[in-house]
Amino acid sequence: MTEQTEAIRRPAEQRYAAELALLAADDAKNPRPAGWKLSPRAVRKFLLGDAKLGIARKFYGDDPLADRAIVSLMSQQGLMLVGEPGTAKSLLSELLAAAISGTSALVVQGSAGTTEDHIRYGWNYALLLAEGPSERALVPSPVLNAMSSGRIVRFEEITRCPPEVQDALISILSEKALALPELGPDAVSMAAPGFNVIATANLRDRGVHEISSALKRRFNFETVHPISDPDFERELVLKQLAERLEPAGISVRGEREVADLLVRTFQDLRTGRTAEGVNLNRPDAVMSTAEAVNVLHAAALEAVYLDDGRLSGMHVARQIQGVVLKDSPEDGKRLRAYVDHIVKDRAGRSGVWKEFYQAARSLKLG
Amino acid sequence: MEAPPLHDPARDLWIVPIRHHSPACAAHLERLLAAVAPRAILIEGPCDFEPLIEQICDPRTRAPVAIVALRDVEKAGGTRRVVSYFPFCNHSPELIALQSASASGIPARFIDLPSTDPAMLSGDDDSGSRSLVGDETPFDVGDYVTALARELGCRDGNEVWDQLFEARIAETDWAGFFADVGQYCACIRGAVSADTMTRDGTLAREAQMRALIARHRAAIEGPIVVLVGGFHASALIEPGQDKVIEPKPGAGRSYLVRYGMRQLDALAGYGAGLALPGFYERLWQARETGGKALALELITGFAAHLRGKKLASPSMPVVLNAVEQAERLAALRERPFPARDDIIDAVRSSFIKDEIPPGDVPLLAELRAWLTGSAIGDVPPSAGSPPLVEAVRDRARALGFTIADGERRTRELDIYRKPRHREASRLCHAMALIGSDFAQRTAGPDFRNDAGLDRLHEIWSVCWSPHVETRLIELSEVADTLGDALAAVLAEKLAGLSALGRGRSAMAAIDLYAAACRAGLGATADAVLDAVERHVLDDPELASLIAALTDLVLLRRSREALDIADTATLDRIMAASWRRVLTLLPELAYCGEDQLRPAIAALADLRGLIELARSSDAPLDLGLFDEALARLGEAELDPMLAGAVMAFALTGGQIAPEALEQRLRGELASGYVEPADRLAFLGGVVAIARELLWTTPVIITALNDVVAGASEEAFLALLPHLRLALMPLDPRETDRLAAEVADLIGADPNRLAVLVELPEGDLAANLALDRELHAILERDGLA
Repeated sequence: MTEQTEAIRRPAEQRYAAELALLAADDAKNPRPAGWKLSPRAVRKFLLGDAKLGIARKFYGDDPLADRAIVSLMSQQGLMLVGEPGTAKSLLSELLAAAISGTSALVVQGSAGTTEDHIRYGWNYALLLAEGPSERALVPSPVLNAMSSGRIVRFEEITRCPPEVQDALISILSEKALALPELGPDAVSMAAPGFNVIATANLRDRGVHEISSALKRRFNFETVHPISDPDFERELVLKQLAERLEPAGISVRGEREVADLLVRTFQDLRTGRTAEGVNLNRPDAVMSTAEAVNVLHAAALEAVYLDDGRLSGMHVARQIQGVVLKDSPEDGKRLRAYVDHIVKDRAGRSGVWKEFYQAARSLKLG
Repeated sequence: MEAPPLHDPARDLWIVPIRHHSPACAAHLERLLAAVAPRAILIEGPCDFEPLIEQICDPRTRAPVAIVALRDVEKAGGTRRVVSYFPFCNHSPELIALQSASASGIPARFIDLPSTDPAMLSGDDDSGSRSLVGDETPFDVGDYVTALARELGCRDGNEVWDQLFEARIAETDWAGFFADVGQYCACIRGAVSADTMTRDGTLAREAQMRALIARHRAAIEGPIVVLVGGFHASALIEPGQDKVIEPKPGAGRSYLVRYGMRQLDALAGYGAGLALPGFYERLWQARETGGKALALELITGFAAHLRGKKLASPSMPVVLNAVEQAERLAALRERPFPARDDIIDAVRSSFIKDEIPPGDVPLLAELRAWLTGSAIGDVPPSAGSPPLVEAVRDRARALGFTIADGERRTRELDIYRKPRHREASRLCHAMALIGSDFAQRTAGPDFRNDAGLDRLHEIWSVCWSPHVETRLIELSEVADTLGDALAAVLAEKLAGLSALGRGRSAMAAIDLYAAACRAGLGATADAVLDAVERHVLDDPELASLIAALTDLVLLRRSREALDIADTATLDRIMAASWRRVLTLLPELAYCGEDQLRPAIAALADLRGLIELARSSDAPLDLGLFDEALARLGEAELDPMLAGAVMAFALTGGQIAPEALEQRLRGELASGYVEPADRLAFLGGVVAIARELLWTTPVIITALNDVVAGASEEAFLALLPHLRLALMPLDPRETDRLAAEVADLIGADPNRLAVLVELPEGDLAANLALDRELHAILERDGLA
């Protein structure tokens, strides 16, 4: 294999290689399901952290969900992670695959262009024409790969595929085998122990497909919710901001106050209700924690490179419209109403809210 | 944190730390009692409850039951009734101890402060204490439990408790078990400040316990078992110099009452016991075998429950997957068998094949309800009841209702002539209003909707089921008399009204007012009228405003039957609504074309309201109406609306018949393109006051002139609209109109009713055709 060049983002099993090795060393005595690289308890520690071993927490907000997900993957059922965009579904699936199978690279990315070949197998047509159907000419899909090696395959955004393509998974999940009729009447690829599927889906966005109930029955569903505790969300946003800024060697000032403002704004708009109990119109746009991090990151970059390095409410106001106005022009009016009523009130009491208010007032929100 | 010793050999005292309603504690207590064979058992519980021990141990008593204690507390502004419960379920260690003492003939005593002591009330807010079982909130909140939960990977204190203690229910080492409970509770206590314990009465209660332990120790030979909340154990091990506080005779009342699993669960929110008692009941039943089969039993049981309730029930593979899931979750979380949360988690991930929105989904709510259980206990007949139950029972008995059994009976009440029957009717209405399920009315006059007023009798279907008493016990927390209970329920419903939309909430508020009046609430019901006022007065819709006002006039008319003694509030609101109607009336001029028919209908209703107000002597200032109508008439109106307004004005004598005639002729002969518009004015007149056709003959004359002057073609164009305009007439009125017209043109009225001869053959053929058509419609399911 060629030497690993520097990448923007490396897969989880590389990013956390040291932690995975630590866990594996500590895990010798614990029983392990067939095909698993780590015991379920070690997988749990990998996700939720373990102070004694020095394992960092990677999944936040819902520990029982992590347990249920791990246990589902030990069963005959696949694991379906659903929820609003930006709730760390894909991250969770990546971490689970990395910890259980040692690789998170077996991925089918669902899209309108996904075909059955992406789920079953395709052909190397040059070889196929030259030799006829043979194992050499067969190009296995990530699913078939995972079956033969007993690993976890991830199916991202499954609802973006047409239902008839999704349904190719049904027999794979129930039979745990895939017939290869081109290679002979009895040619079947059987799934090795350790094989399972983690699918992620968004059931609410526009332009997504239904999942057939036959396929639904073969999955255990877990709903990943946005984080509801503002203090906790703020800490998380700050931590992720630091993770992004550190490698670039930059630092900002005043980020705590601004993060607090940002998280409160996001929570208000996400739930349609302020902490004071005032009801508002929810924007259609996704107001996820991940988006909050993006906004704060962009605001921080603006503060550092175009300003004096002090993050302020003004920077957030300029960036937030990019998040809110993605979806529908109505959202602009909703944000405007939020600024005019809620933010205005808070502006009288705090400096950072005042900066936010003044800058937001001058935005063209429709 | 040092754990207190379980046994004090110097005094031969076994101080057993427990958690209330914990099946594991109860199971180990059984083992301890068998091994120690004590000569007496002392239990943390108000010492004034001792007279009830006999009833609790009565073989006819079936848990869940509760001691309900009522006491009056002096507060600024008067006396306040405080009601609290001391519940027992099958797996309460206290009940196990009491039953064991009774079975082996040794004394059992309660050693806490009397339930009337101020220290038992401290920490109360105004909502009143709900539980007399020692406060267990420290098991769920607090730094120690939170830190432990994080360490063990548990979501809350309840899961921590399940993992550390309920999981050990089948072990045989009771001494080790209680040592660990003691240790755990001592740690929890270590995180609570002495100041807090002084304030919430903990220290005072512990002093009493020490004093009573010393007293009983002096009086009884042999080992004594003391059963206390684990929180207190470390404070009792050292003998003290405390003085016993004796219960004051007559200071409070307490009863043993039937209790329900559901109420037991509700109390868990007040820091008493473990939530979802139905689950722990099953765990208790499995105490000897351990919980190995619990997941299978519960998950298949829940699936069967779903099938029984005809809810979407999971398939066999799903059920199996859930059981497997529960077992594996338990293994992952290092538990010997699936605990409560493992089973809920397993059902959550296996049964629901969809996104779960924040909050809840019906299936999980159903699971929680099922794990709560619905059983209701039983008490021996000798047990008394809370005053509300007694008061209602007495009143029902006095009014001739049978309450000894749960049979459903029909009762006919002569509400106008017999005062006793009217009283009975009030009781039925009151019980319906508090939601007790005691009586349903199947027939009777409806003063609210102006229907069936000619009926002299009300017919009720009544049944004194256990649910009736459950509801009363529930309400006995807030009320001692039915009147108080009604007031409380009314206040609650009133608060719920604001959740409805404005128009609907005005109607709902009037409904509620009527119900309150029927239940005999009298002046208390006036509070509801404030809500009516609030909703009615900013109603922008004339139609709903008129409807609400009509309702109020109807209620006022029946004030004697409804027992409304003072109509001052009602009158004030009616006057205000009336003013609002008059303000809105001139605005009708600007209603859009699509709102025309509703506007005419509202005007017709308004006329009905005015007639009703006149006939029932309602205090509406009708003089103001003419002015408002005149203002509406001055505006430029759509022909139909103009017809309606002029007809209204004519009936009120504001305009002369000639004015109407002139306008009508103008409209009928007008140059409108659409024939419909020419007749719209007439339509408006007929919709409001069709009697004008007879009282104002010029209308018919004008109409006749137009018809007579029209060509055949023009008449045919006019005809359908003429029919539409005259549609409000009933058949008799149509005949009368025809006769008048015939009279006018000098035709023979007898010729109007022409009998067309039909040959018999045609008739038979037509009938056959009719039958055939009917058969076809029947076949196609359209009949």
